[in-house]
Amino acid sequence: MVDVLFDDIFRVEKLNPDDKKYFDKVTRIEARSERFDMFLHLDINSELYPLRVGQKFALQLVPTLNNDGTPDSGFYIGGNRESQADKFEYVMHGKLYKISEDSTRENVEVLISFGGLLMMMKGDPSHCNKFELDQKLFLLMRKV
Amino acid sequence: MAGLVQRLKGKQGRFRGNLSGKRVEFTGRTVISPDPNLKISEVAVPMLMARILSYPERVSRHNIEKLRQCIRNGPDKYPGARQYRDASGSAWSLKIPHRKRFADQLKFGDIVDRHLEDGDIVLFNRQPSLHRMSIMCHRARIMPWRTLRFNESVCNPYNADFDGDEMNIHVPQTEEARTEAILLMGVQNNLCTPKNGEILVASTQDFLTSSFLITRKDTFYDRSTFSLICSYMGDGMDLVDLPTPAIIKPVELWSGKQLFSILLRPHANVRVYVNLTVKEKIYSTKLDDKKRELKTMCPNDGFVYFRNSELISGQLGKVTLGNGNKDGLFSVLLRDYKPHAAAACMNRVAKLSARWIGNHGFSIGIDDVQPKEVLINKKDETISDNYKKCDDLIESFNKGNLKLKAGCDAAQTLEAEISGVLNGIRDTAGKVCMQTLHWRNSPLIMSQCGSKGSPINISQMVACVGQQIVNGCRAPNGFMDRSLPHFPRKAKTPAAKGFVANSFYSGLSATEFFFHTMGGREGLVDTAVKTADTGYMSRRLMKCLEDLFLHYDYTVRNASGSIVQFCYGDDGMDPAGMEGKDGKPLNFDRLFLKSKAICPSDGDDDILSSSDVHKVVQRKLSEVGMRKSVEQEASEDDSSADFIKSLQSFVKGKIESTELSTEEDSENLKKFILRISGITRRQLEVFLDICLSRYHSKKIEAGTPIGAIGAHSIGEPGTQMTLKTFHFAGVASMNVTLGVPRIKEIINGSKKISTPIITAILETDNNMNTARVVKGRIEKTNLGQVAKSIKVVIDSRSAAIVISLDMDRIRDAHLHIDANIVKESILFVVKGIKTAERVVISKEDDKEANTEKFKLLVEGTGLLHVMGIEGVHGRQTVSNHINEVSDCLGIEAARSTIIDEIKVVMGGYGMSIDIRHMMLLADVMTVMGKVLGITRFGIQKMGKSVLMLASFERTSDHLFSAAVHGTEDLIEGVSERVIMGIPIQIGTGMIKVKQRLSPPESLQGTPPILSYV
Repeated sequence: MVDVLFDDIFRVEKLNPDDKKYFDKVTRIEARSERFDMFLHLDINSELYPLRVGQKFALQLVPTLNNDGTPDSGFYIGGNRESQADKFEYVMHGKLYKISEDSTRENVEVLISFGGLLMMMKGDPSHCNKFELDQKLFLLMRKV
Repeated sequence: MAGLVQRLKGKQGRFRGNLSGKRVEFTGRTVISPDPNLKISEVAVPMLMARILSYPERVSRHNIEKLRQCIRNGPDKYPGARQYRDASGSAWSLKIPHRKRFADQLKFGDIVDRHLEDGDIVLFNRQPSLHRMSIMCHRARIMPWRTLRFNESVCNPYNADFDGDEMNIHVPQTEEARTEAILLMGVQNNLCTPKNGEILVASTQDFLTSSFLITRKDTFYDRSTFSLICSYMGDGMDLVDLPTPAIIKPVELWSGKQLFSILLRPHANVRVYVNLTVKEKIYSTKLDDKKRELKTMCPNDGFVYFRNSELISGQLGKVTLGNGNKDGLFSVLLRDYKPHAAAACMNRVAKLSARWIGNHGFSIGIDDVQPKEVLINKKDETISDNYKKCDDLIESFNKGNLKLKAGCDAAQTLEAEISGVLNGIRDTAGKVCMQTLHWRNSPLIMSQCGSKGSPINISQMVACVGQQIVNGCRAPNGFMDRSLPHFPRKAKTPAAKGFVANSFYSGLSATEFFFHTMGGREGLVDTAVKTADTGYMSRRLMKCLEDLFLHYDYTVRNASGSIVQFCYGDDGMDPAGMEGKDGKPLNFDRLFLKSKAICPSDGDDDILSSSDVHKVVQRKLSEVGMRKSVEQEASEDDSSADFIKSLQSFVKGKIESTELSTEEDSENLKKFILRISGITRRQLEVFLDICLSRYHSKKIEAGTPIGAIGAHSIGEPGTQMTLKTFHFAGVASMNVTLGVPRIKEIINGSKKISTPIITAILETDNNMNTARVVKGRIEKTNLGQVAKSIKVVIDSRSAAIVISLDMDRIRDAHLHIDANIVKESILFVVKGIKTAERVVISKEDDKEANTEKFKLLVEGTGLLHVMGIEGVHGRQTVSNHINEVSDCLGIEAARSTIIDEIKVVMGGYGMSIDIRHMMLLADVMTVMGKVLGITRFGIQKMGKSVLMLASFERTSDHLFSAAVHGTEDLIEGVSERVIMGIPIQIGTGMIKVKQRLSPPESLQGTPPILSYV
């Protein structure tokens, strides 16, 4: 079985946090999760996968897309194989480049870069135990 | 017929024209043009040139077939040969029909002067050769057509562009010369400048623009496009591991940033792990809700972060890829993975960028400079507002109730105020202009990534050209009381004094155009004057410092062996290798980041506690035998103590920042925090190993001609400075000479300088009143200032000035005054220091203590007196007058003043020069015990030889006096040896190999039976 690193449902609270559109095809969404109350900033390709304020989406972070849970080889093989991605609408691949604690030490920040599209998730450390530095991971999203 | 002396002297004379420099063979010169497909170490030589230039290659069994073919081809067909020499030394030209015979009888050991071929070593040069990177060694590539071509990345060191520039090539003719050329002058070995260790060969112009566009956050490519672009950078010959796309679903898309990850590390077997963080120009300084910097999450994507050769975030621009930077991508590659990696990477960027931008397209059109409606309105509004402000100011000036600025009269105040208002117009217009431009606007893109143009250039095209400055002021009055006859007399309105409200797009009015040409002409005149000035300055510096070089004992000596410095730069480090700011050897922060990134902490490696960290540091230091030097508190001769101390304090600081765990944290949480912020043993060891080994590799090599390098490093930046005076920071009306004139003053060791300023530190520096009191003590007071009143009495027959003196004060001063002296007395100094023309109180805001600090700036000389004034802190009071400092504080003080003053001037233009160069110059100027300028008089007193002096200036005088006195010349220095045509004793010429050989065996056999004797 695939070891899911993080799984929650988020609600989009804002598009482009400082109300200025910086890029044509990329939008930074600000969202908050329902179960763990995590705070999220995520760059998504809004041309392919537009989101509106108020929409809810399920977000999963997994280390591999293989259904049987065998670790990702690191080499890219295209083609339509059965995979975890089948159940989702939007999938990105990236690398976790920083975990840091907040100045108050209550929150932990997890930063991931999906080829330049960044994700910052902030919240209670207990939900971030499975993350490790330099981990390669997949982000799976689906509107609910 | 020229006279004997005329034949010798002058630039074209025997000494400078024929002995110090000679005309040479095997050279070529033609127009240059760019070619991004060449490597940075290559130069394309036109075939026409390659047929003329030749290299004498000795025949061996490896090249005999090639050379035979060359001989058969002859001098006119490429690849051919021009001459053939056999072992006996007799030579035959190959311009003959029966060359085939020479080809057939070619044997090992013969020499063939063959045409230049691919891979041959040539020297490439562009005048003016201001620094050693103006002549570098490339490998030839023989190409068709008529220009010399090279990669644009190498434009910077030559300061070349392609608007018709010509360059020269020289072909070294022996294997020894080739070896030395490629090792010492090769492009790869001169990527960074010894001026300050910044990278000089780096991407420019289009390369920056396209890298900027490629790495935009919203550039995505599908599989075929992405693979195509991957093949651009390596000519399709490289093995590339296709990475997993950034977006897998709904469609597979790769991001532009992934391209750069591939560029650095195409496949898994490339062991290059770049780690760096850079703040680009577009980085927003906004802070997040916790008052921390946004770093990678910057909404503009201005924070560049490479982690293990993967581009995590940031849009690449000039700071990352360009020149003049110590933490950019190429600098990091150069330091961590040697020049070859950096050069290879530059080649790839060049190819990728040139090809990509060729497909993408990038151009400027008229729509790029059309202002938007918002901008036009906003601009009109600001202009009318500010014109109104100016009118008000002028009115109050005319009425005489303008509030005066400190140390200015009414006219000066008006000028200063109006300039402030007018500059405001351009700034606001520029700001609005930049905001309203679309992101696809080409000038905007170029200015953001730093490839060309500044925001001011753009706003001049789009919004408003702004105030024209001539001679540091607004346009002067060329007609009676007015600048042009289009305006009323005594007009001081913005438009009448050279303010250009139009943009280049909207077009300038006739008067605006005229004012603009005035500003433009000043620029042209400036450049012309400057080049002559700095050229002569460089020549003098060079002549004075040319023979200084580093000996094996780290002392710096001149040609005759007298010591100038006991240890070069006090630490014996190579300025070209300095990685940190302000000439520090290493950038610990970056290395720490790198060592943490390249050794990931896995489960079995323990996180160190602070005491363990200390132990590891101590052990490592003692391993390399450097601990001792710290414990003995820096024994005088050990220059590495400073470095060790800084390393220790850095590690300590790093540990303390993470060791703040509070008690109440749960065990689990503590572990987690340690895991994400702690340092493992291996990481620390790797970090220390890198630091220590790299420190030792940065020691300067013996034989380095640091004199010449120093002269270049100070002379070359001079050409970039504009001849202008600057306002003193914080105090209006206080002008300080900066730029080339000031450098000249310092270097000449002038007795009289144009703006001598003494900075007097006060004993109590937080009180304005005490500052005023001390000011009164220093500033000279005229008689007029102690008079009760001065009246002008004019009646029909006479005009008179009636001065009523403040008799109490005069009596106190025991002055003897009668009517005859009054007139002169007005100019007499009554109180204060005669030479102190003016004293200005300068206010500094101390941000930390939130208090104001005062100090006095004394315009004029008299350091000794100022130091003695009550209330002045004499020990901290400094002057910018080097000779005065030397007279009153001694030669060591003069030396440090020279260093500081050069630093101030260079700093004023934002140029950083390694302090070691300035130290060397200051030491040369002061070794003789008094300040000697770098002039013909100073150099004469530095104990140089006759030939050197004769080749410098006043050739005949030196020759005559040498002849009269029978002076001996040992021919030790550089100039002398060049004149005599023998190798100079610097660098590779410093050592002589001595070898004990048994006497050669006699080749005579048995004595001949018959002999002539």
